[in-house]
Amino acid sequence: MASNMSAAVDIQGLSVTFERGGSSVAALDRLDAVVPEGQVFGLLGPNGAGKTTLMHVLLGFVPPTAGQAAIFGTDVRRAIARQRIGYLPEHPDTYRFLTARELLHTAGRLFGMRGPALRARSDALLERLDLTAAANRPAGTFSRGMLQRVCLAQALINDPDLVILDEPTGGMDPFGRLQIRALITELKARGKTVLLSSHELSEVEMVCDSIAILYKGRVITSGDATTLVPDGESLERFFIRTIEAVDKGTTAPAGKEAPHA
Amino acid sequence: MRKILVIAGIVWMEMWRRKTLHVLGILLAASLLLLFSINVSGLGRIPGYVKETGLLLTWIFGWVMGINIAVRQLPQEEKRGTVYAMLARPIGRGQLLLGKWFGAWIAVSGSVLCFYVLTVLIVGGFGGRFGGVAMFQALTLHGMLLAMITALAIALSARLTQEAASALCYIVTAALFAFVPRIPEFIATAGGWRETAMLVLYTALPHFELFDMRRRVVHQHGPIAWHTWALILLYGAMITAILLIAAWLAFRKRHFSRTAKD
Repeated sequence: MASNMSAAVDIQGLSVTFERGGSSVAALDRLDAVVPEGQVFGLLGPNGAGKTTLMHVLLGFVPPTAGQAAIFGTDVRRAIARQRIGYLPEHPDTYRFLTARELLHTAGRLFGMRGPALRARSDALLERLDLTAAANRPAGTFSRGMLQRVCLAQALINDPDLVILDEPTGGMDPFGRLQIRALITELKARGKTVLLSSHELSEVEMVCDSIAILYKGRVITSGDATTLVPDGESLERFFIRTIEAVDKGTTAPAGKEAPHA
Repeated sequence: MRKILVIAGIVWMEMWRRKTLHVLGILLAASLLLLFSINVSGLGRIPGYVKETGLLLTWIFGWVMGINIAVRQLPQEEKRGTVYAMLARPIGRGQLLLGKWFGAWIAVSGSVLCFYVLTVLIVGGFGGRFGGVAMFQALTLHGMLLAMITALAIALSARLTQEAASALCYIVTAALFAFVPRIPEFIATAGGWRETAMLVLYTALPHFELFDMRRRVVHQHGPIAWHTWALILLYGAMITAILLIAAWLAFRKRHFSRTAKD
């Protein structure tokens, strides 16, 4: 496929259709998008817009019906495309019979890591996510917040160049949210690309460089987070206005600059 | 191969920490000790009778464990959501499937080995003896049978729910044990196309009875010829491979999405 080598994610004409009760439902409809390397990219949209499906295509969980998607130039249908990805699902859970340290070692080994490098990386992540004291406890004894952090640590074990976060702060307390925001900022400072799906629009405003609004399986608007939204209007208001405009059949409000998608 | 072993390691850790083996081991030991300690209808202290019971329990436990452990591997991954984090790593669906099957097979075979050792020790403690070579052959053939059963369970669970796959697996394996050895009787009485159909069925279905050496072991009939033993193992490996390929075909294009069902 023609790949954009400076793009972390390159999506061209991507469609996903599911069969439900004998009829076809288009979860993604000829979607085009590019996520540039080193950016925090916010994926917004109402429930059922196709955000999670898009992430699942990028991760190889769902095969595309048509079109192509590549991560750092490698087709997402190849397992090797996931070598540079870290993923935190919307409802993270893990093997509760393993300790936090064992979970990180297991995750690392699946990325081909081993020996002192793996142990050092695990210890650093346990420390970074305040899990050192609980490192040798089975995950089954963890609180929800701790489980979420250990899943995040697993997602970061391979020091990924692209981190995909699906509603990372869902169900988290304010301290947890703060920690996630700090982590995203830290990843960005290290040149990593973050693809973030969230309903917390204030959070998206705070951390994202670019945003795309997905609706009915298509990107209806996208652009730079600081310039896309008109001055004096909140992202939340802009988001609602954009969705309503599409529902009414009028043109979606355009961003101030050329959109990514 | 290393990634397959990592996935298998998760299965082993789960089984060890959930103490499935411990409970069944204690149950087996308690059953055998009870048989030796009481005299049921004058048979209780005959080692041959207890040997047979010990091996039968080992077979039943192996059968139940093989299905129960293998059949839950893929559906449980999906149910608890760990399949998403697992498949988000650079592993292929085939590797995940092989890791799960290998983990379940080795875990169950290891447990069955422990049960054999336990049976030999308890029976030996009361004066009973097993032929070493025949016992080795029985154990290896039993291991290969478990490879087929776990592969069948994995193949069924690649598409069905855990409950449906489990029920179907019990029915299929029990039917294969009970009816396939009796098909020649039907062939003898059938004629025309029925005879041909029965012959095709007899050839195509897996012959689980080939892997059962319990009677030879219990009645000290000695080992089977090594080339026969090797051929049966090869046959078992072939059936296992066919079942795993079927599992992979069912699993490789499967959609994993909580927002959509395929």
